[in-house]
Amino acid sequence: MTRVIEVPATFDDRSFEQFAAGFGHWPPEERVLLDARGAQWASPYGLLAMLTAGQALAEARQERPLFTVPTSDDVKRYWARAGFFKFAAELFELHGKVPRSAASGPSDVLLDVTPVRATEDVHEVVEKISQGASRILHGELGLEMKATLRFSMALSEACQNIVEHAGTSGWVAVQAYTFRRRLGRRVVVIAVSDAGIGFRRSLESAHAKRFGERWGDGAALEAALIQGVSRFRDPGRGQGLAFIKRFLDQWKGKISIRSGTARLALVPPWDEDVPLSEHLPFFPGAQVQIIIPAQDPEAG
Amino acid sequence: MIQTIHIGRLLRETVASPYRNLVTRPTGAAIRGRIQEALAQSDCALALLDFSGIELLDLSCADEVVAKLLLADAERGGRCVVLRGLREDQHEAIEHVLTHHHLAIAVVAPGTDDEGPWLLGWVTADARAAFACICRRGALTADALAAALEWSGARVEEALGALALHRLVRTDGDLYLPLSLA
Repeated sequence: MTRVIEVPATFDDRSFEQFAAGFGHWPPEERVLLDARGAQWASPYGLLAMLTAGQALAEARQERPLFTVPTSDDVKRYWARAGFFKFAAELFELHGKVPRSAASGPSDVLLDVTPVRATEDVHEVVEKISQGASRILHGELGLEMKATLRFSMALSEACQNIVEHAGTSGWVAVQAYTFRRRLGRRVVVIAVSDAGIGFRRSLESAHAKRFGERWGDGAALEAALIQGVSRFRDPGRGQGLAFIKRFLDQWKGKISIRSGTARLALVPPWDEDVPLSEHLPFFPGAQVQIIIPAQDPEAG
Repeated sequence: MIQTIHIGRLLRETVASPYRNLVTRPTGAAIRGRIQEALAQSDCALALLDFSGIELLDLSCADEVVAKLLLADAERGGRCVVLRGLREDQHEAIEHVLTHHHLAIAVVAPGTDDEGPWLLGWVTADARAAFACICRRGALTADALAAALEWSGARVEEALGALALHRLVRTDGDLYLPLSLA
């Protein structure tokens, strides 16, 4: 038996729930097939979600999942350029023709799909991003020059969460594109995803007692993002997300974290997302998305 | 005597790569260890940490390198520590972590040592004013500072107590001395 999970035609943080629901009980008993033939577009969040699913299935010692590549040549080229197929080939049995190499030249892909396995990878990510971040953030989004370094700091802190909390490796990708329907402006999106233990299990031993019966994926996300707690006793911990929140507030940006069966978002005025969603379909690990919009020239 | 420690050099030696970005906790902890080793081998009264070779300083490293160095007061042998060569975003990161820990540190810009340091972190307005007055006028007794600022004795004592606690001024008998970098 094979469980076919259709990759949403437009795969972003919103359609992610449809994707997660496709797995049913985790891990699914049947062999999984991710069917991306009808895919038209995927955000970095969507690309990482597929890789995370593949990684989690491998770590759950499930049969190697299948993956049918998009029919659209444009979509395939774009996913290849983002580095998706390079890692998908390690996790899935790919079916369909994949472009051999990534396209070259200027791109909206600020950071290819990049694995985060250890501290050294965070150094590499920060080095890589510094080359293109200024062009996009200052040149295209109209953010002040110093925003480039804050952006890199946010990226560094988000990636370190994988190394320190997930208990396994993860992925990061950064891309610029236009949010036509929601905002009508350019945005830069950071997506970070891992297949690890998730926020609830990471924080459980140190903080569950305090929450009593309320403890769960949603409460764990609140504890981390709103209250800035950490599983470490070190009083210096937990500052990374607080710093990211401060910058996002200044830039009218958005952060959302999904872990287990819950999702928590700090929602800026331009978005209509729900702050806290609970009882969602289970998905392994944690998925973080940070959106920084082009600054509104009339606002200020 | 002043001991200058170049953080950029320590970073290159520690991670054995050409990176100029001071990121991640393990890297920060390794750099702090190197700073503590250097201080243990020195009899200087003041350590100047020079960040001018550093591009990015993330929050984790700011916490590991600066905040934890100050928290481990005994391991720096009671020395005063001053930072130099910080960029604006690095100020922000250090200010954030020091405020979180209720700590403070003195900072100077490169090439402007004679202008005197200023403070980053968790410091009351009175302590900042007292610090600036001592930097401007040189060594002062508590009475002289009270006269200069037109404050009560108790107010001056409280401000000086906070500065001395964080080793933001040196003391010599009744005198409070600025962190001289000359």
